[in-house]
Amino acid sequence: MENNRYVIIFVFILTATVAVLLTFLREATKDQAALNEEIFNKRAILSAIEDKTGKDSGEFTDEEVVQLFEAKFTQKVVNVEGETLEGVSADDIDMAKEKKKPESERRLPVYIYEDGGDKVYVLSVRGNGLWDEIWGNIALAEDLNTVVGAAFDHKGETPGLGAEIKDNPTFANNFKGKQIMDNDGDFVSILVRKGGAEPGNPHQVDGISGATVTANGVTKMLESGLENYMPYLNDLRGEGQQGMLQEQ
Amino acid sequence: MSTTTQEVKQAEKEPLFGKKERRLITDPLNDNNPITVQVLGICSALAVTSLVYPSVVMAVAVVFVTAFSSLATSLLRNYIPKSVRMIVQLVIIATLVTVVELTLKYLNYPVYKQLSVYIGLIITNCIVMGRLEAFSMANKPWRSFLDGIGNGLGYGLILIAVGVVREVFGKGSLFAGSPLEMKIIGNTEAYWINTETSTMFGWYANNNLMVLPAAAMFVIGIIIWIQRSRNTKLVDVS
Amino acid sequence: MEALNIFLKAAFIENMVLAYFLGMCSYLAVSKSVKTAFGLGLAVIFVLGITMPINWLINEYLLSENGLFGTDLTFLRFILFIAVIASMVQLVEMVIEKASPSLYASLGIFLPLITVNCAILGGSLFMVSREYTFGNSVAFGLGGGFGWFLAIIAIAAIREKIRYSNIPPALRGLGMAFILTGLMGIAFMSLMGIDPAALASGAN
Repeated sequence: MENNRYVIIFVFILTATVAVLLTFLREATKDQAALNEEIFNKRAILSAIEDKTGKDSGEFTDEEVVQLFEAKFTQKVVNVEGETLEGVSADDIDMAKEKKKPESERRLPVYIYEDGGDKVYVLSVRGNGLWDEIWGNIALAEDLNTVVGAAFDHKGETPGLGAEIKDNPTFANNFKGKQIMDNDGDFVSILVRKGGAEPGNPHQVDGISGATVTANGVTKMLESGLENYMPYLNDLRGEGQQGMLQEQ
Repeated sequence: MSTTTQEVKQAEKEPLFGKKERRLITDPLNDNNPITVQVLGICSALAVTSLVYPSVVMAVAVVFVTAFSSLATSLLRNYIPKSVRMIVQLVIIATLVTVVELTLKYLNYPVYKQLSVYIGLIITNCIVMGRLEAFSMANKPWRSFLDGIGNGLGYGLILIAVGVVREVFGKGSLFAGSPLEMKIIGNTEAYWINTETSTMFGWYANNNLMVLPAAAMFVIGIIIWIQRSRNTKLVDVS
Repeated sequence: MEALNIFLKAAFIENMVLAYFLGMCSYLAVSKSVKTAFGLGLAVIFVLGITMPINWLINEYLLSENGLFGTDLTFLRFILFIAVIASMVQLVEMVIEKASPSLYASLGIFLPLITVNCAILGGSLFMVSREYTFGNSVAFGLGGGFGWFLAIIAIAAIREKIRYSNIPPALRGLGMAFILTGLMGIAFMSLMGIDPAALASGAN
């Protein structure tokens, strides 16, 4: 019969060959994979501003995505006090890691899209659905209040139920035109309401039947996520108003 | 389990070429289908089949893994120490699956994201290991390679069939997420049949049940039913 | 307390078989009688309970960026995880062969196939993506195993009963088992979203 030495040598050679082979393959594909991931994330941001670019995020080629971000986007990172952080760009922020930090230490990415004097602010939020994490990008118009678009994604919500936040375009479309602040400029967020939004209420959207937990997750995510951005948005609005006063 | 008897049958045919080789590929498509007859590799069949496109990608990945792991195991079959043969087989499979994962990340990141944990689960797709144990350890490389392709295809066939049923009835589309996307029936103008305006199909609504993973169980159950009524020798007598 | 919640969640709410449909192959093939199902179920609990913490240690101390080698080796995760699982299964196989030859014979090819029971590798991969602590990974392993055990006992009992039912011949056995599992899965969906932590604290 085979002796132990043969077994050990066989396993050792096999493992070594396999490890070398895979390391080589990984090194060869690493850069392109990282680029793919970046483009994937950028497309998620583009899908929140489809109304502004006039195109479905899937219609851009990879090169166009990269070019568009270089030409028309400004990236910023802010903290929960609203201060802009220097030396980092929004691309460097991994929302999954930020979510694990205490709220006061989180860094928040802001993508500002500018096209012909039209400015859109894309904010990122992340929270928990039923099974696992959910996340989304919310695009605000220049008044920093009106939503011009939203896009959501999830890790493992139930297909046909919770997963509809991503799969059913109507859900994200319902956010368009909603407002995150009331007339006094106080933060109210947007509620995903079970049984349908009250007609005319700018702070509510329709829920998804059979996916109450995921819908509540979206509500909570928007509430805490957007609230973190409020100091920054308030500062920005303050500046805007000052600018207007000076012009007058 | 019919795998052991089949192995004996095929061992007798070993020197032949041509027609018998073709049977290695065609048998698993129907009479000896890995999912509906051998009951192997069901987990991933359920999770990824809510849309056709990921099912196709999954099917291609599985054909690749079964084919090349069969080939590699068969080449090494005389050198693999018996006491650790399972670990060796699994290392071969896991390597190929990692290759698939890296390749997919390189070529098509969105699909990689969509299949996520289920790529890893190809390793534990029992078809792969089941065929290595039952066939490749006892057969020559070329035949093992064909057997791997055949079983991978048999698996993929069911996967895609289930995917088509679930996507058409659950979402009213086909190949969503790929360049070939077809929108068949739904409540907006983008679909071929618009249930809002059509007089014939005004009653129709997509069936949400089909999108749930449990629906895959029903669809496979019905596929087995159809297959066994046509092919009565497969009927379970017990 | 958190560990208990994870155990309950893994066993009932996020049942490997009925919510995620993992580990189906042996589940469908060995569920013809309650007796063999019982043996396989126990083996699965044992293998899940033991591989989960081992894989946790491997992931934390060998593969992660702050591990022994100092670089990100997570692309080798599949290979190491499955190697651990395969060794453990071989161990269980030897123990069962010694302790109960009759069970060993009736489990047949499905004993080595525990290795390729998706629930086991799936469990380890879930554990990584959910970032459990060591203690929680043990609870998750045992809970997941227990849930699998319950599911296979349940379907085996149903299958023993419906043997006397009048089912179209072509649907008998396997076809019916698939449909039954689908129905059980839909029944288990009603547990979805229950949070044991919230129940325990009396909230809601």
